[in-house]
Amino acid sequence: MSVYITSTGHHLPGAPVDNDRIEEVLGRVHGKPSRLKRRILASNGIRTRHYAIDADHRTTISNAGMAALAGRDCLEQGYVPDTRLDLLSVATSQGDLVLPGFGSMVQAELGLPDLELNTSHGICSSSMMALKAAFTALKADEHDNALVIASELASRLFKASRYEAAGALADFDAEFLRWMLSDGAGALLLETRPRGLCFRIDWIRGISHADAFPVCMSVGRPKAGEDRESWQDYPTYAEAEAAGALLIRQDVRLLDSLVKLGVDGLLRLIDEGRVVVDEVDHLLCHYSSHHFRGRIFEMLTQAGAAIPEEKWYTNLYTRGNTGCASLFIMLDEFRRTQAPAEGDTVLCFVPESGRFNNVYMHLTVIKEDAP
Amino acid sequence: MSDRITTPEGRECLQGLMRIWFDFERRLGRVPVIQRLERGRFTLEDHRRLLRHLRQQVVEGARWITRGASSFDRDYAEVRSMVIGHAKEEHRDYEMLEADYVAAGGEHAAIVGGQRNAGSEALHAFMMYRASQPNPVDLIGAMWIIEGLGQKMAGDWARRIDEATGGDGAWTRFMRYHGEHDDAHLDKLYVLVDRACRGEADRRAILRTARVVARLYALQLEEVDHDDAA
Repeated sequence: MSVYITSTGHHLPGAPVDNDRIEEVLGRVHGKPSRLKRRILASNGIRTRHYAIDADHRTTISNAGMAALAGRDCLEQGYVPDTRLDLLSVATSQGDLVLPGFGSMVQAELGLPDLELNTSHGICSSSMMALKAAFTALKADEHDNALVIASELASRLFKASRYEAAGALADFDAEFLRWMLSDGAGALLLETRPRGLCFRIDWIRGISHADAFPVCMSVGRPKAGEDRESWQDYPTYAEAEAAGALLIRQDVRLLDSLVKLGVDGLLRLIDEGRVVVDEVDHLLCHYSSHHFRGRIFEMLTQAGAAIPEEKWYTNLYTRGNTGCASLFIMLDEFRRTQAPAEGDTVLCFVPESGRFNNVYMHLTVIKEDAP
Repeated sequence: MSDRITTPEGRECLQGLMRIWFDFERRLGRVPVIQRLERGRFTLEDHRRLLRHLRQQVVEGARWITRGASSFDRDYAEVRSMVIGHAKEEHRDYEMLEADYVAAGGEHAAIVGGQRNAGSEALHAFMMYRASQPNPVDLIGAMWIIEGLGQKMAGDWARRIDEATGGDGAWTRFMRYHGEHDDAHLDKLYVLVDRACRGEADRRAILRTARVVARLYALQLEEVDHDDAA
């Protein structure tokens, strides 16, 4: 049984926001412009992104709302009516509510009746875990189709007021992601039959290394030196916020390990014969920052396993880093604008720094036989 | 860098070596003393203990390299020259390590009089055994791990140790020294892989020795917290 991606969709909220306007939207912490902003933006290379909050910090569309619009965009370009959808598999880093699962909220928002539901939890790789759950469900002949959606609304975490509530100036680890992440949603429709020019999913493989590395990206974890381990250990949520336990943090010193693990995983797949470097036609890699593209390329070159740069496709620089939604938004734009040819192979790679989970996927462009 | 590797066998060998290295790094992430270092819970006493344990293996390092050099016959003359050069560069570096130990508040007599821990014993014995075999090309695998660790010490550990112990670099000179020659050493290793890995048997032997050395080195570091005899 083969599984195909027969449609894709996306939603990016509002107008693109360029680098000069970021602080107009997110706000200046204690009224002062950031000292780190310029350096981090120069390193990540992102020029425009989208936010689901406005300059008054009102939410313009909810996370579930974005997910639903991406799902609708995908369904409208496909051939499966709502009533025939079998499975909805959804991912986000943080839903609008702590409970229930994000998938329930998205299903309701889309008004999809009587289907099986899956929600996957994590950071960037959660979309790939949701996709793999759907892929294997179709492979196992449980279902004929699945709608997979990944959506992120990170900007709520970046309002100046959040940092002000955590007291003095934010440390580097807490401010870093403020200039990296933004909002958006992507969706894929999976079917057990091809339609027109589509992608066959050859395999999806995740390799997690949480046992060997400390937490690298987190929300809910107090900064070093606090004697509590979780935001839920404080007597009140107000105290957790005041202690900085609700800020999103990245331990940037650990990021180089992520690059190594990414290359290690690729070498493993080469060794298993799943990836033949010379036969990869397109590489879609969710690197969070232009800086890491260079590091990955350098290390692959060192290993004699480099995929030539002209085969790399990304829309990071214009659509922003939308966490788990990035790869879906990238694949959607790739499909619509790059016109891949029948037989082309596409290698997708999503590294997650949270606690080091890397997911790879191999696609082949297939053309449906004329009836 | 990979343009120094010209053969498919060499390329496959290099990819295998990189994977073994990454696996070794993950294993290091599970070693208690390294976990303390990575989490900033590393004391000056930890540092002295680490140096005391490392020294017992480093001081023997020149022995296996020079013995290895003498085990290469005329068909490997070029490789032999490179190995001799490597031995000459590093055969006194334990003196720097001892000076760091003293700078960190240790007694010189204590580090000189230390014993090899269980991991150091196994590592030393294995290296001497492999170095005594005819044309021990697999030593490249050992050099890959030990050289890589030298770079990790220089690029990462030294800084973390100074941060955690309030040092100004006075007791991390040995670790930093190994970083200064990074690229030159790595380039030499690439050339060695290219020249010495001549077939599948060589590749297998190089990768196997790299794997064993990585495991025994990690054992040596695990023993830092087990064995107080050293």
